[in-house]
Amino acid sequence: MITILVAVVASIVSGPYLLVNTIITGGMLALVATGLTLMLGVLNIAMFAHGEFFMIGSLTAYYVFTPISNYINENPDSFLVVIGPLIAIACAAVIGAISGIVAEKLVFGPLRKRATDNWVMNSFLLTVGLSVLLINLHQLLFGADFKGIVGYWSGMPISIADVFISRDRAMAFVIAAVVVAIFWFFMTYTSTGMAIRAVSQDITGAQIVGIDIEKIVLLTISLACALSAVAGGSLLFMYPSYPTVGLEPLYLAWFVVILSGLGNILGAVAGAFMVALLKAVTVEYIGAGWDFVVPSFLIMFVLIFKPSGIFGSDVRGALDK
Amino acid sequence: MLLEVKNLDAGYGYLQILRGVSLNIDEGEYVGIVGPNGAGKSTTMKAIAGLIAPMGGSIAFNGEDITGLSASQITKKGISFVSEEMNLFVNMSVQENLYMGAYIIKDKKVRNERLDFVFSLFPRLVERKAQLAGTMSGGERKMLAIGRGMMSDPKLLIVDEPSFGLAPQLVSHVFESIDALKSNGVTILLVEQNVTKTLAVTDRGYILENGKVGLQGKSSDLAANPHVKKVFLGV
Repeated sequence: MITILVAVVASIVSGPYLLVNTIITGGMLALVATGLTLMLGVLNIAMFAHGEFFMIGSLTAYYVFTPISNYINENPDSFLVVIGPLIAIACAAVIGAISGIVAEKLVFGPLRKRATDNWVMNSFLLTVGLSVLLINLHQLLFGADFKGIVGYWSGMPISIADVFISRDRAMAFVIAAVVVAIFWFFMTYTSTGMAIRAVSQDITGAQIVGIDIEKIVLLTISLACALSAVAGGSLLFMYPSYPTVGLEPLYLAWFVVILSGLGNILGAVAGAFMVALLKAVTVEYIGAGWDFVVPSFLIMFVLIFKPSGIFGSDVRGALDK
Repeated sequence: MLLEVKNLDAGYGYLQILRGVSLNIDEGEYVGIVGPNGAGKSTTMKAIAGLIAPMGGSIAFNGEDITGLSASQITKKGISFVSEEMNLFVNMSVQENLYMGAYIIKDKKVRNERLDFVFSLFPRLVERKAQLAGTMSGGERKMLAIGRGMMSDPKLLIVDEPSFGLAPQLVSHVFESIDALKSNGVTILLVEQNVTKTLAVTDRGYILENGKVGLQGKSSDLAANPHVKKVFLGV
């Protein structure tokens, strides 16, 4: 409620472009944060390597889209003008999912088999290590330079209520909205989505009703990483790919997860827009250097007064023992 | 023979609790396992349901060896386990919980038939369809757990401590609903601390003491046995 109020006031005072920025960053942040929520709720992993899947997504999109854009330059009437960017983003999702599965098979699976206690701490340390590894692997294989594109969709900006929104930004929002909607539908109505929720709520109960835990774990991690990679791929025009590109979305997504409560997927979406708005308003009125300080303050207050988060519930993790 | 457990050894970590438990259940029977705290009743059930791996011995279901299978595989073979803690999905509605109970049934029509069946057993759950499982009373949750166990159309239903933590009035109600299942032709293995009640409703019983089967036989004979009377009933 307060968010909507602040959004309205801010957009009246300093122009609707603030609102547009909020919605786009919020949408993409929602993708990263829901992935993080999933990892936390179902696998009980405090994922600090999630930004690197964002990086993998943007890198994939870059290498897929560059040849496509060269082709478009030579054949401007090709159908790829419309479809090309979508192909790049879809590839980012697929590669993100695959790298998630690889991470589970090589890193988390072996730990799960061997860890007897202290799972939360050990898996958290492992994700930090994975993050450092992936960042440096990027630097080693692809170099530390910025790998960006001029834009996905060329053409005149779209004008809505006197605000000009570039086509890339509009599409980024549409992609985020569609993906979040599909994801929500999947989690709410399909039996596989319900099984994922069931595992996050009671792992023994899930085993009793015949849910194959290993399959769900694998599916969850690939989904979570794909969501993050989609965000990385769609935002390539704003954030060119470089080794540490994933850190900012990671921190913001953690703000969202702590703010909205651990393991609450719909809450994560709402929280993402709140954090995005907060960030946009801070940049506008206080200064660009403060955009991490203000959300951090808010989180401190939330942790002091409502430790389970604004939309928090007492969902326990799958491997909480 | 539907379920045949032979010389089962099981426990947690280095702690062995069961030492050579053997029991068997025929189709359509209503069998009770009773015993004092720490005798290994729940451990036996968890080993049969696949939640803990047996250290030794064998478990056969329907003539098939199921020793060491995972819990989800055992559920798919037709054994449904209603645990003491119920393990409901607390942030899901009653209906969603029941649907999850039929997770192994892929046919939507069959799922809905099972749902109707469970609703006919527990009309109370129909009223609470949209309520979150975690917000219901203890008795209702027990009913939901048993109903969820029935959703997969099991050949054998194992109910662990249905009276645990319930008011006496509700205990009778839960026992009645298990009786209703029995008259529907379901094979039931009941585990209870409430010895009098269990021996009164079941056909056959096992008495578990210190991880071993102490006595076995017809429930009525067990109830009349002087040892049982002395140890459990305090007469």
